[in-house]
Parts: sequence; C-alpha cells; structure tokens
Amino acid sequence: MTFAVETDGLGYRAGKNFELRDVNLRVPTGAIYGFLGPNGAGKTTTIRLLLGLLQASGGRILVLGEPMPQSRVSVLSRVGYVPDRPHVHPTLTVAQSMELHAAFHVRWDAKWADELQQQFRLPRDRRVGSLSKGETGKLLMLLALAQRPDLLVLDEPTDGLDPVVRRDVLEALLAYVSDRQASVLISSHLVHELERICDWIGVMDEGSLVAELPMRDFKNGIKRLYVTGAPELLDERAPFTVLSRGPANAAVEQWLVRGWVPAMRDHVTSLGATVTDVIDLDLEEGFVELLRSFRDRP
Amino acid sequence: MFERLDPRSPVPLYAQIADAVRMAIAAGEVSEGSLLPSVRQLSAELRVNPATVVQAYRGLEEDGFVATRQGAGTFVQAVGKDLRTRERRNAARRLVRDLMRDARRLGLGPDDLQDAMDHELNGGGR
Repeated sequence: MTFAVETDGLGYRAGKNFELRDVNLRVPTGAIYGFLGPNGAGKTTTIRLLLGLLQASGGRILVLGEPMPQSRVSVLSRVGYVPDRPHVHPTLTVAQSMELHAAFHVRWDAKWADELQQQFRLPRDRRVGSLSKGETGKLLMLLALAQRPDLLVLDEPTDGLDPVVRRDVLEALLAYVSDRQASVLISSHLVHELERICDWIGVMDEGSLVAELPMRDFKNGIKRLYVTGAPELLDERAPFTVLSRGPANAAVEQWLVRGWVPAMRDHVTSLGATVTDVIDLDLEEGFVELLRSFRDRP
Repeated sequence: MFERLDPRSPVPLYAQIADAVRMAIAAGEVSEGSLLPSVRQLSAELRVNPATVVQAYRGLEEDGFVATRQGAGTFVQAVGKDLRTRERRNAARRLVRDLMRDARRLGLGPDDLQDAMDHELNGGGR
C-alpha cells in the first residue's frame, strides 16, 4: 500500500498547554480519510504541520511521497487545501480570487473553475468580503478543486454551512474524486457527515492519534449486545472488551463491547448467559465510546 | 430508488445500494436495458464514497442483474422469472428479519406479530 500522507513520530509543542505527541498518520493513496476528534484535539495543528505551515519539533513527514517541509514547492502544487479559516482576500472579487489562485497553480483548470462557479452560483464580481459564509465555503472548495490536486486536505470544509451548501460542496468533491482517484484528508467534528463518504478513519484526542483503521473495521468492532442471564462478574479472560454494561429492561442487560466477532457468542454461552441481539453502532456512537475508553485508560 | 439509504444501518452502504437496485428491478420500476447512473453521478448524488458505488455495481453484475459496457455505462439486464421470484422472496425475508430483530428486543412472540399482521390486513386503525 502506498500513502498520500505518512508521518512518523510527529511532534509539536505550543506553550505549556498543548503538545502533539508521536503522531503516526497513514492516509492510503486513493482513500477518503476522515480525521475526527473533538475541538482542540490537534487536528488543525497536524494538518498545518503536514503542509509546512508549522515547524514540527520532531518526526518525519511524507506527503505524496516527498518529505515536508523540504519539498514544499513541488508538494503544495499537487495539494488542494481548504483551511479552517478563509485564506482569500476580502477586497478581491470572486473572479479575481480565481485568477490569483490560477497564477500559483500550474495545473489550474480554468474551464472547470468557471463551471463550478456557475454550479455554485457564485457572483463573479462580488467582493469576497461581502460573501455569505456559505458562498465563502463554496469558493474555498472551488479554489482547492480547480487546481486539480492529487491530494485534498480539507479542514472542517463544511463547518457552519447550511445543509444545502454542504450538499453542493460534498457533491463537487465526490465528483472530482470519482474522476481523478485523488486522496482526501477531511477533518470534521460532524461525524454523521463523514459516515457515508469515508473509507478510513483517524481519531485524534488530546494531541495523540488514538485510532486509525478502515471505516468497515471501525463500525464492525464496536457493538451493543443484549444479554439475558448475564453473570454479575465477567470473566477477565473474555475475548472482547466490555466498555460498559447496564440494564436494558427487567430481564435483559445491555453491553457495549469492543473487538466483537460472532464466534464470541460461545464465550457468553459458557458463562451461562445468552446474547439475544447484536446491534451495530453508527460512527458517532462508536467514536464517542472510543474516546471514552481512551480517556478512562489507566 | 435510493431514498431509503441509511448510513447508520448495520447493512453496509454498498449492500443497501445493491438491494435498492434489485428491489427496483424486481418491482419492475426499472426495465431491461435502462442505464443506471454513473459511479460519479450516484456517488455525488448520494454523497457516498465512489468506491462504495463501484462495489455495489460489481455485486449486481456478478449476480447478473446489470452489465457494464466499457465507456457506455451500467445497464439493467433481462431478468428471468426465476431471478425475479428469488429476489421477491429475498426482499420478504429481509423485511421479516428486521421485524423479528425489533420484536425480539421488545419480547414479542409470533402470536403477537400474527395479531398485529391480522390487524393491519383488516385495514388497521384503532
């Protein structure tokens, strides 16, 4: 497997209160990688390190196979970036912003940029400073896409946008990815939004990457079980991890488990209990439980 | 065709997309020879990963429901009576499986469900 982004032991320190520790990120080439984490977890810092906007205190970064920040000129020409705060100048018009961006990007696709501008209904002659939040969001996505990047790095690209704009933006992104097999690193705290589109998930918390796995495994590993005749004490040798348990109704307990596979029913049966139902959790529930178990660790 | 897609469902999205197409074929909503949306169109429209659509279409092709012609797109195949009958049966089983899962959780037995079914068949209402 090749990687669009690869970091080893990446570290960064900002004052006393924030530190990024030993981040080993692997974004497979061609993946849509959802970068999750609560606010302040270090997602934006990591992204800025990847793009050479901050200087790491340690570790190694490869983006599209080239070391960063050493190869920033060649790497950044192939990376489309939607930053967490708009990087367009408020006094330029939409058309001028597009021209300015085109000048910096050799692969700029002027025809497609015009198509997107019409599709997004962005007024060419309006000043960027007078655009609505939704229009600004669409302009940022247009600028990132029209440079025909091999990697898109999107930092909360739909944050604060209304559902209609979010839809427009994601549609354009997915159409591009279908055409070009580009890789995407997309950070968001809107977990439901990522659930449909991502095939890889990385979870940041408190400056560490606490999980990184294919979406399929993430969703499959964490389950809610309904158990009748549950014993008071659980065998410590259980092949799965019980994250929490409690009564579902008079006769049935509800367990939240990690690392579950169907064959483990036998283990529960050996305890004299019966698994009556196994419920898959959605991404958001799984994500919340993962963070909780990470924070509760000794 | 795809309005009931649910990313929170335990059924993977690719399987839900494939099921929706199968249902539409079995119900005669799409006819032989009609063109399915391209991967690009469907991925953007449903806002799902393009790979998910590719996986769904590949499964449908293996089962003989659709054929992909290079450069032209993915077309609905002539579906025989047998395949259609089997698909209707599978659809019924999927419905019952979901029903039974919820019923088990509520502690409802076959008699409760039969009563409820009779009630609905007789026009429902209170």
